[in-house]
Amino acid sequence: MSGRIPIQVTVNGRARAFEVAAHHTLLEVLRDDLQLTGTKECCLVGECGACTVRLDGRIVDSCLVLAVEADGGEVTTVEGLASDGRLSRLQGAFLDEGAVQCGFCIPGQIVAADDLLRRVARPTVGEIQEGLAGNLCRCACYGQITAAVAAAAAAEAGAR
Amino acid sequence: MHAFSYERPATLARAVALLEAHGPEARVLAGGTDLIIRLRDGSLAPTVVVDLKRIAELEPGIREADGRLVIGATTVMTDIAADARIRRRFEALAEAAAVVGSVQIRNRATLGGNICNASPAADTAPALLVHGAVVVIAGPSGSRRIPIDGWFVRSGVTTLGRGELVTAIELPLPAAPMGSVHLRRTRRRGHDLASVTLCCGVDASGVTRLAYGSVGPRPVLAVDATGVLADRDAAPDARTGLLERMLAEATPSARSMRASPDYRLAMLRVLARRGVDIATARLAAAEGRR
Amino acid sequence: MSAGMSAAAGAAPGAAPGTATGTATGSGRVGDSPRRVGGHDRVTGLQRYVADLHLPDELHARLVTVPVARARIVTIDASAAERVPGFRFVMTAADLPQPMPRFGPQFRDRPVIAVGETKYHGDPVAAVAADTRDAAEEAAGLVRVDYEELPAAFTVAAALDPAAPLVQDPSLRPNDPLVGTNVLREHRVGWGDVEAAVADLVVEQRYTFPMVTHFAIEPHAYIVAPDGDGIAVWSSIQHPNWLQKVLAELLRLPLSKVRVHSPDPGGGFGGKQHTKYEPLVAFMALRAGRPVRLVLTLEETFQAVRRAAAEVRVRTGFQSDGTLAFQDIEANYLIGAYADIADRVVGKGSYPGCGPYRVPAARILARSVLSHTVPSTAFRGFGNPQVNWAVESNLDEGARALGIDRLELRLRNLARPGEAFIPFDTPCDGQWEQSVRRAAELIGWGRPLPAGHGLGIAVGIKSGPTTGLSYATVRLLVDGSVIVFAGTSDMGQGARTVFAQIAADELGAPLDAVTVVMGDTAIVPYDQQTSASRSTVLMGNAVLAACREIQGKLRAMAARLHGLDEATVMVDRGVVRLPERELTILEVLVPGLGRLGGELIGNGEMRKDAEPDHPLGGSAAFFEFNCTAVEAAVDEETGDVTLVHYATVSDVGKAINPLQVRMQDEGAAIQGLGHTLMEHYIFDESGRIRNLGAIDYRIPTSLDLPLEIVSEHVENEDGPGPYGSKGMSEGALLCVASAVGAAVRDATGVAIRDLPLTPERVWRALQERP
Repeated sequence: MSGRIPIQVTVNGRARAFEVAAHHTLLEVLRDDLQLTGTKECCLVGECGACTVRLDGRIVDSCLVLAVEADGGEVTTVEGLASDGRLSRLQGAFLDEGAVQCGFCIPGQIVAADDLLRRVARPTVGEIQEGLAGNLCRCACYGQITAAVAAAAAAEAGAR
Repeated sequence: MHAFSYERPATLARAVALLEAHGPEARVLAGGTDLIIRLRDGSLAPTVVVDLKRIAELEPGIREADGRLVIGATTVMTDIAADARIRRRFEALAEAAAVVGSVQIRNRATLGGNICNASPAADTAPALLVHGAVVVIAGPSGSRRIPIDGWFVRSGVTTLGRGELVTAIELPLPAAPMGSVHLRRTRRRGHDLASVTLCCGVDASGVTRLAYGSVGPRPVLAVDATGVLADRDAAPDARTGLLERMLAEATPSARSMRASPDYRLAMLRVLARRGVDIATARLAAAEGRR
Repeated sequence: MSAGMSAAAGAAPGAAPGTATGTATGSGRVGDSPRRVGGHDRVTGLQRYVADLHLPDELHARLVTVPVARARIVTIDASAAERVPGFRFVMTAADLPQPMPRFGPQFRDRPVIAVGETKYHGDPVAAVAADTRDAAEEAAGLVRVDYEELPAAFTVAAALDPAAPLVQDPSLRPNDPLVGTNVLREHRVGWGDVEAAVADLVVEQRYTFPMVTHFAIEPHAYIVAPDGDGIAVWSSIQHPNWLQKVLAELLRLPLSKVRVHSPDPGGGFGGKQHTKYEPLVAFMALRAGRPVRLVLTLEETFQAVRRAAAEVRVRTGFQSDGTLAFQDIEANYLIGAYADIADRVVGKGSYPGCGPYRVPAARILARSVLSHTVPSTAFRGFGNPQVNWAVESNLDEGARALGIDRLELRLRNLARPGEAFIPFDTPCDGQWEQSVRRAAELIGWGRPLPAGHGLGIAVGIKSGPTTGLSYATVRLLVDGSVIVFAGTSDMGQGARTVFAQIAADELGAPLDAVTVVMGDTAIVPYDQQTSASRSTVLMGNAVLAACREIQGKLRAMAARLHGLDEATVMVDRGVVRLPERELTILEVLVPGLGRLGGELIGNGEMRKDAEPDHPLGGSAAFFEFNCTAVEAAVDEETGDVTLVHYATVSDVGKAINPLQVRMQDEGAAIQGLGHTLMEHYIFDESGRIRNLGAIDYRIPTSLDLPLEIVSEHVENEDGPGPYGSKGMSEGALLCVASAVGAAVRDATGVAIRDLPLTPERVWRALQERP
């Protein structure tokens, strides 16, 4: 197969069928073809995590996944985390704890943090730091991001 | 990134046929965490990329069979690090898998990819050497198995032939408990490529297996069958001398920017001493649990 | 601790990272910590950065470079590139006006594109325009550049060698006495007589500071479109008005025909202050007659912006009681191939080099040394951390030699409020001792430590802006909501929130009814720049003045409505006070505006004029002051440094938003740990950057933090900004290396004078320990 390849992907809950170039990454297709620009481009070598999305239940660096690899899969981007325009608990916690400065890394941070909380309901500080170590923040809000994830987990537990 | 054609074979036979037909013009895509970086930087420019992830025979997974733990080549690091059998029986491998990149990377990077890249710094290589892994290969003339000790040739080169691909990595289940540990040196605490990797395994008979990487063109295995290294009561000079001989194959490159050769060699010794201590303690703990 | 000291935003000592107490609270008045304005879009992915914008019909540009630093460009052959489908054109020096247009904030030395020779690894020799990003990338890869590598200089020593190749063409500064050298400029400042000064102890050492890059997570991005008889520009830039001026001059357009849009940058840190590739993209867009976009890769940002490396020799004279006798500082900053703002960084960064101390005699000589490396530019701290590392470390050496406690030595010499510690500049404008004592208290200075642990303490000081000009317009709409127009760039520091809080407080509006408009030179009034931690003070005062003008109109309105003498009406923080009663703003505004409605408009201006005779062209608007104290543990077998406790205390005058103050201070501290512990460019023999990209240029991750970090700030409302605020956000970075290095020294007994303190460097120093 070369040229444009037809794929079907469920993106943020919506089934979509479109064609992609074999050498285009999931990141490029999300941003350029689907105009989902919340997912950010930075290092392109899987180091910074700005392009983090959830693919089939697991977070990945979308710069290191070819779009064709997602064929038949389910992708969740930052745009899929707020429902009906309402911020998720986690998104609110990021604002309350002061975890957002320039904001460029934040979509990746939030997708990664959301994944962590799906796996571990009440993560320790160490687990949060490890779970988000693949997301660089040059404003270095790491303490605040950790606090936000812990606060969201605590609020979630309180709500249950 | 250069354009290429993409193949997604459904069967092992088809994959082998594609790889045989295209030879060096084809590259295998498993997790993609190394391949896609190299496609983008232009250091690889294949005409065909063969994605292994839809091959029925290559479903990722870990199963026990005939006294072996069989890890499918496309099994990702996250699953290896989390597997209860690996954590219990092959602790060093679980530890090695847990430090390959970030969560995002470990969710994609496969064990098969890690050994096929044959980076001298590959984190899983020392643990596979210590645990006596066997590489299961499919190719044009059928399947073959080779011990991991005969797998790595030099950086980026293995004994894999044209048309061949790795289908699984097997670990013989040890009859007696073994204590093992994976240690590494990096430039920061956050994820990083290792400037020294080391795995130490000590079994109940006193045999110590040391494997180390990132200090030469390929990872090295050295075995002390005398029991001296694991014997805390042995003369310190004897243990030190033995360790020196076991680490003698380390020949770090002066060209690397990640660490200088003398630092790597010094750290190799630090990690080896710490590794023997930790593995011995783990063995004792495991025996205590029995 | 004085009554003015605030611990409200700091974590309790002993708290684990991430369990700190600062959270968004309050209604958004001054002193509250509301959620950041613009935060919603940042957590939902809706925030649009430049690379997220697309224009119809746009072309994609890609740079072409050669893999060495300095090379003569022999030929550029684009014939293979032209065959790529979608290729439009290639731009080289030959396609630009002759002589080559040059620009630069201090010296017009930077060509739009390399002409004749490249001067550093990454200096673009050509740029390709194509219909798609793929085509641009492929075509750029097919442009064949024949080049001849030329001798080059990548270090201070090589550049200062009399036989060194000259970086800058001598014709660019014909009458300069330094023209035959690679010294762009020398900066000399001093007082007293260093030669005659008598000291009981003289300590002289040499220190080095590495070359590091900004690594903003948003790579720089540019779009330029022809726009009628002018151009429209989108750039992730900190100084949109300065960019407007540069482009207007280069293109010979009126300012009004250059419209610069500057969406909030995704991190700037100084690296996005000045013009880089906007002129190139503008010439390409004009040639194409279509919009052209250029989004840099992270690697290309390493080749666009960095901090100056430095070699600093310090000779410090002490009296036996620890008082300072003199400081003699010689700092060679390794700047890049084009000056950018680097020489200003050198002059302003070295100027307060003696620190916040009473020094009877001082001599500071700083050189801007050109080299065949990436042009260095502004970077948070602006040249101060380099000299601070040397001078603060040297103070520790002296204290040890004299047997005086390092904290005590600092307190003994620290300038007191009102003291002219730099004789011809703004006197000490804070109760600095409070910050120092608090940091020492937070770290537990003087307590016994486990083996292998050590404590370090250091202070940092930085001159705030020396000149400034900011205009703001505020519109109070008929329903009481407010629009603020301010030309500051909010790149994460939170200026948008601070201005909204000021306007909300002054005009009695709920914070969510305030909109702050930034980033469009066609709409927003002029602002000189977003730099030097100036915006809260300078633009903040302009916003405040605009609000006060509206308050004046409200007073007149209230007086008219109620038949009062205007002098008896007061407007104070959202309330209109009449002699007998109080009214809300709306209770005056709505009847006052009458049936047609409308609005009240206020304009504010904040100007700090140049002082021609001052060595920096102006005295400091304020000083940023910080004290950092650290407990480090060193693994002597491996050289690993663990920061066990970390305390940073800044004097901010007044925290308009305490949570944001804390975010800035902790962020600056952790960013500073980068150059302290791990970051540095590595070059090969051709001046090629070997660790180009995120795999081998390491910055701190969430796993590289101190085990505990505590930040506090001192508030005495003694600053020149609104409500007594001072600028902040660079202070906490100034002395990170000095404090950490001191702690490592204390833990090991070995002084390491080169950064970063990588495990290997620490290990090597320990091996060489006598």
